Amino acid sequence: MTAYLIRRTGQAIVVVFGVVLLTFIMIHLVPGSAARATLGTRATAERISVFNAANGLDRPLAAQFVTFVKQAAVGDFGTSYSLNQPVSTLIAQRLPRDAVLLGLSTLLTLAVALPMGIFQAVRRDRVTDHVLTVVSFVLYSMPDFFFALLLVAVFSVQWHLLPPQAPQAESVGGILADPQALVLPVVTLSLVSVAGFSRYMRSSAITTLAQDYVRVSRAKGLPERLVLLRHVLRNSLLPVITVLGLAAPNIVAGAVIAESVFNYPGMGLLFYQAATSKDYPILLGSTLVVGVATVVGSLLADIAYGLLDPRIRYVDA
Amino acid sequence: MPPLLEVRNLTTHISTRRGVVRAVDDVSFTLEAGETLGLVGESGCGKSMTGLSLMGLLPPGGALVGDSSVALDGRELVGLPERELRRVRGNDIAMVFQDPMTSLNPTRTIGHQVAEAVLVHRGCTPGQAADRAAEVLGLVGLPHPRERLKDYPHQLSGGLRQRVLIAMALANEPRVLIADEPTTALDVTIQAQILTLLADLRERLGMAMILITHDMGVTAGHADRINVMYAGRIAESAGTDRLFRGMRHPYTQRLLASVPRLDQDPARQLPSIPGLPPDLTAPPGGCRFADRCSYATERCRAEEPELTGTDGSDGHRYACWHPTSGPLPQHAVAVAPHPDVVPAAAAGRPLLEARGLVREFPVRGNRLLVRGRRVVHAVSGVSLALGPGETFGLVGESGCGKTTLGRLLVGLDRPDAGTVTLDGTDLGHLRGRELRRRRRDLQMMFQDPFSSLDPRMRVGSILREPLRIQGIGTARQQKARIAELLAEVGLPERGLELYPHEFSGGQRQRIGLARALALTPKLIVADEPVSALDVSVRAQVLNLMKRLQASHGLSYIVISHDLAVIRYLADRIGVMYLGRLVEVGSADDIHLRAAHPYTAGLLKAVPIPDPAVERAKHGTGISGELPSPVDPPSGCRFRTRCPLARERCTHEEPALRLFGPGHTAACHFPLLPALSNHAANAATDTSGH
Amino acid sequence: MSTLEPVDLPEPEPAPESPGAPEPAAPATAARGSRPLLTAFVRNRRALVGLGMVAVIAAFCFIGPLLYRTDQATVRLDLNDLAPGAGHPLGTDASGYDVLGRLMTGGQSSLELGFAVALATTVIGTLYGAAAGYAGGVVDAVMMRVIDTFLAVPGIVLLLIMVSLFTPSLWLIVVLLSLLSWLGAARLVRGEVLSLRSREFVQAARMMGGTSGRIVVRHLVPNAAGVIIVSGTFTIADSILTLSALSFLGLGLPPPHADWGSMLSAGLNSLYDGYWWLVYPPAAVLIATVVAFNLIGDAVHDALDVRLQRP
Repeated sequence: MTAYLIRRTGQAIVVVFGVVLLTFIMIHLVPGSAARATLGTRATAERISVFNAANGLDRPLAAQFVTFVKQAAVGDFGTSYSLNQPVSTLIAQRLPRDAVLLGLSTLLTLAVALPMGIFQAVRRDRVTDHVLTVVSFVLYSMPDFFFALLLVAVFSVQWHLLPPQAPQAESVGGILADPQALVLPVVTLSLVSVAGFSRYMRSSAITTLAQDYVRVSRAKGLPERLVLLRHVLRNSLLPVITVLGLAAPNIVAGAVIAESVFNYPGMGLLFYQAATSKDYPILLGSTLVVGVATVVGSLLADIAYGLLDPRIRYVDA
Repeated sequence: MPPLLEVRNLTTHISTRRGVVRAVDDVSFTLEAGETLGLVGESGCGKSMTGLSLMGLLPPGGALVGDSSVALDGRELVGLPERELRRVRGNDIAMVFQDPMTSLNPTRTIGHQVAEAVLVHRGCTPGQAADRAAEVLGLVGLPHPRERLKDYPHQLSGGLRQRVLIAMALANEPRVLIADEPTTALDVTIQAQILTLLADLRERLGMAMILITHDMGVTAGHADRINVMYAGRIAESAGTDRLFRGMRHPYTQRLLASVPRLDQDPARQLPSIPGLPPDLTAPPGGCRFADRCSYATERCRAEEPELTGTDGSDGHRYACWHPTSGPLPQHAVAVAPHPDVVPAAAAGRPLLEARGLVREFPVRGNRLLVRGRRVVHAVSGVSLALGPGETFGLVGESGCGKTTLGRLLVGLDRPDAGTVTLDGTDLGHLRGRELRRRRRDLQMMFQDPFSSLDPRMRVGSILREPLRIQGIGTARQQKARIAELLAEVGLPERGLELYPHEFSGGQRQRIGLARALALTPKLIVADEPVSALDVSVRAQVLNLMKRLQASHGLSYIVISHDLAVIRYLADRIGVMYLGRLVEVGSADDIHLRAAHPYTAGLLKAVPIPDPAVERAKHGTGISGELPSPVDPPSGCRFRTRCPLARERCTHEEPALRLFGPGHTAACHFPLLPALSNHAANAATDTSGH
Repeated sequence: MSTLEPVDLPEPEPAPESPGAPEPAAPATAARGSRPLLTAFVRNRRALVGLGMVAVIAAFCFIGPLLYRTDQATVRLDLNDLAPGAGHPLGTDASGYDVLGRLMTGGQSSLELGFAVALATTVIGTLYGAAAGYAGGVVDAVMMRVIDTFLAVPGIVLLLIMVSLFTPSLWLIVVLLSLLSWLGAARLVRGEVLSLRSREFVQAARMMGGTSGRIVVRHLVPNAAGVIIVSGTFTIADSILTLSALSFLGLGLPPPHADWGSMLSAGLNSLYDGYWWLVYPPAAVLIATVVAFNLIGDAVHDALDVRLQRP
């Protein structure tokens, strides 16, 4: 396990470095793009070179990269053009809110998808399986913004059951104090990913159900409920954990959409607004943060995998 | 008083996409307390399905039909609600499955898994269940059971895992134990240990046992009665002695005759059973064996024989219109006269020579892990030589390095030290194009008929590929050549248009052999060529290999764990243990005059399909399991399992010594007197020529 | 679901005795052999439904305009937001375009985009994945870290940055989506090649003197074809969805260009005005198309997984 952890962490560090490099390259992808983004597309060449000199953009790329890494390491991503605030402050405000939204929706996703996948695997090829399969295909195939607006149309506009806008409170406590307003954003984010995860869980559980040890546990006289709980669940979960680790980018994509629809002041909305107003420092800063979060997420998934699978846990203990 | 277990008219149907498979058809038998019933037959004959039917553990789509009845102590089990049936399962009737590697849940401790069986059926505390688990684990011979309760399955070897599975089945002292191929996945030495353990436990606990196996040798020593199954039905049922000496069903007779035996005359062709078992979605109307039976008449094809014919005493029953009597006499096998095998070339240059081969791999467990600095000593200094037209058999337990050695010999892998020369050319010095060209002379036949042929290619393309790669002949010549090859291995020409999955395992092995022959090689290395095949088909392929060797003047290196197969094919045999050749000699040297205790133990462990021989055996002389090749024992690598080991074996590595012409062995305390040291030194150089 | 990927677990050995199902006896009577994957695929009802849906939708988009001619070039503000009725079976939109006709031309963009991305992705992913898987060792490790890096930056983030830098066009989006989606395909193909590489038929090809190139092209890639098709069909579905999400964020194809996603997002603005014909028809075709491709991909995936098949 120790060796496994060391190796996975090593890989993660390499990837984080890659993300930093990639982000850096993006700034320099188009010559003068930073300047153009700040000064507007009609800026004269003269103004651009003045801007570049002022911001150190005329130095050799390698030197700029070193500066970039140094600043990024201490969380200095510059100042937002449009909001006139340090990017790090903006991100620090918004990250906790995302932790609430994404955490809740991921929990809901798993709480629905895992039992559903096992249930479908057990009832494989029967009517209930087919019905759930059709439902998950349709959910999966729906654009999330359409699904979100449909929910708003039904639950807020038609029935007035839930507010159409997410909580606007600044603090995490404030957000949680308004659970009604959280329902629609969380459900939107969950249901679309439930489809994918339940599908994956179903196929994993079908594989597990065909294993010899499941037959052995039945031969012991174990009731089917315990067979599923003790022998099928955990083993089917292992491959799903890996997928969960890789799903972070998809979750972020969902967050961008859901936060714009429900006007939730998280990273996704910040990012979207930055993209439309070409606010460079925010784009780069949040890319970096999200990239690192993704790497950490998949590292955590691998650690969880190791904890659940004794074949990894005990190899060189 | 009713018998302990009475099975009447058991009929199991499984609905599949292809139709309803009549997996078990009208099977009846009884089992008394303390008795062992052998259920013997080939793949798909319904023997495993019979066991699962008794347990009520049918696969999806499976159901007992008709008036199937299973009565335990007079209590009818068929039709019981699932709840009641669960109380029987694992409590009154328990089952041990075939593959110990996949039959344990990898994410739970073995203690938990054994205790679970206790907890389900006994109203006890988890602590008491754990105590019981430790107790039964001790009973099945797991060393230090209490400390090992917290072990996970992957920390145990295959043999120990099978012991855990047996413990799990025995935890509630069942009255009937169904053992489904309990030793098929294990090495012979371990097989012998497990079978002895089962027999011993049966006696101590007074259980009845159903031993399901494809191996006639296993039943010979361990069953009191035997049911031979064919195509879902019982073909013949008799007491063990009677079945082996006075069988009446032609299938039993042929099945027994087609098993290669250690005491077989290798110069004689094996009697094989032509064809394949029938498709059970549409079984033939008459006798199911009729199509493959040499005695079959019109009546056999029209009318199905009943399982009757009480042949006097002992409840001997068989389902046949034209019963034979007794085993197939050896001289009656008047099939094609055996062609002369080219004798081992005593003089002249060897075709292939290996000197001091060493191959070590860095330890790699899970791919996710750090690559350690430790190495597996797969092959540690092996030398051997092979003459033209000769067959060299390489035998040993799994993990002894025989497959690695085979890959080194054909150049699929490169040795870390040592050389392989083919016809005087050092293969290690060849690179790129030259090496690829040289491959013509060296071909390989693989073990797994399901993975050795590209599933996306038609057989025609598969056979043509070597010719295309080597640029031999025009398109027309290539086509003619592949048709010829296919005919040579006994398959019809229309097979060229088919895909591999449309052939049976035996037919695929034939295609693999045809592909190896396409380049007219001088040497074919066959790695476990028949171990994936059923007994009757195995004989067909072995005969074919011999015939082709004679007609093409081929040399073979045959790698197998099965001593009988090696004995049948090989002129000379090398016994491998943990990366070393411990004994090399002619087939007779090895079988009749084994010098190394390992060879002798290995031979003794092979089950012989003869009840008298099997019952006379006491232990195998080889205890324990193969040590890890990462950390081989010092001195003689076999010493940890050797009954004769002494102090000297720990420090001093034994050198190969000469025991007769071409017969060498590496042992300090051999079973035979060695010849003089001088001769021995000469022998180690050429390894027996 | 493009993240469906084989995970490193020891595969169970196939049981030597499959219950009650004897091996296929003797060569089948058919004169020419049948491909196993194809047979399993055709037997799958989901696959046939998916293929049927795709055929109908493709005919609607590409043959439909020939039969049902509409003017999709001139803005007719006098005809805006007409409810369905004579002359406009599905009404008109805010610019006065006929909605039914626009669904056809819009569908062309959506389908073209999906197919183009899938094609590019498949080619790049297969080459990269096969190379990494066959090479193994250090080369493989480096190539995989590159993929990890790209995967760590969420695709939508890169897309938003790019389309905010350049003016989006269909082909720019195709290029961008391809650059993002090949990663998954590459991982899948690599995993498959890695497991195929050790199979005996590959060793047999080496024994005959086959070169690495030949082994990759003749044996590894054809045998990985199944997963490649699966990943391709899922990519089509995902790309169509991603394009619609970009449209919703206002970063999709600029007007007058149409695709289902932009029609849907535009329609959603007038959802509360009661203009349902601007919302549900594009939503329906969009979802139906994505469902169809997902069905096909899922069916091929099942057909590939022998362990999931009924005996």
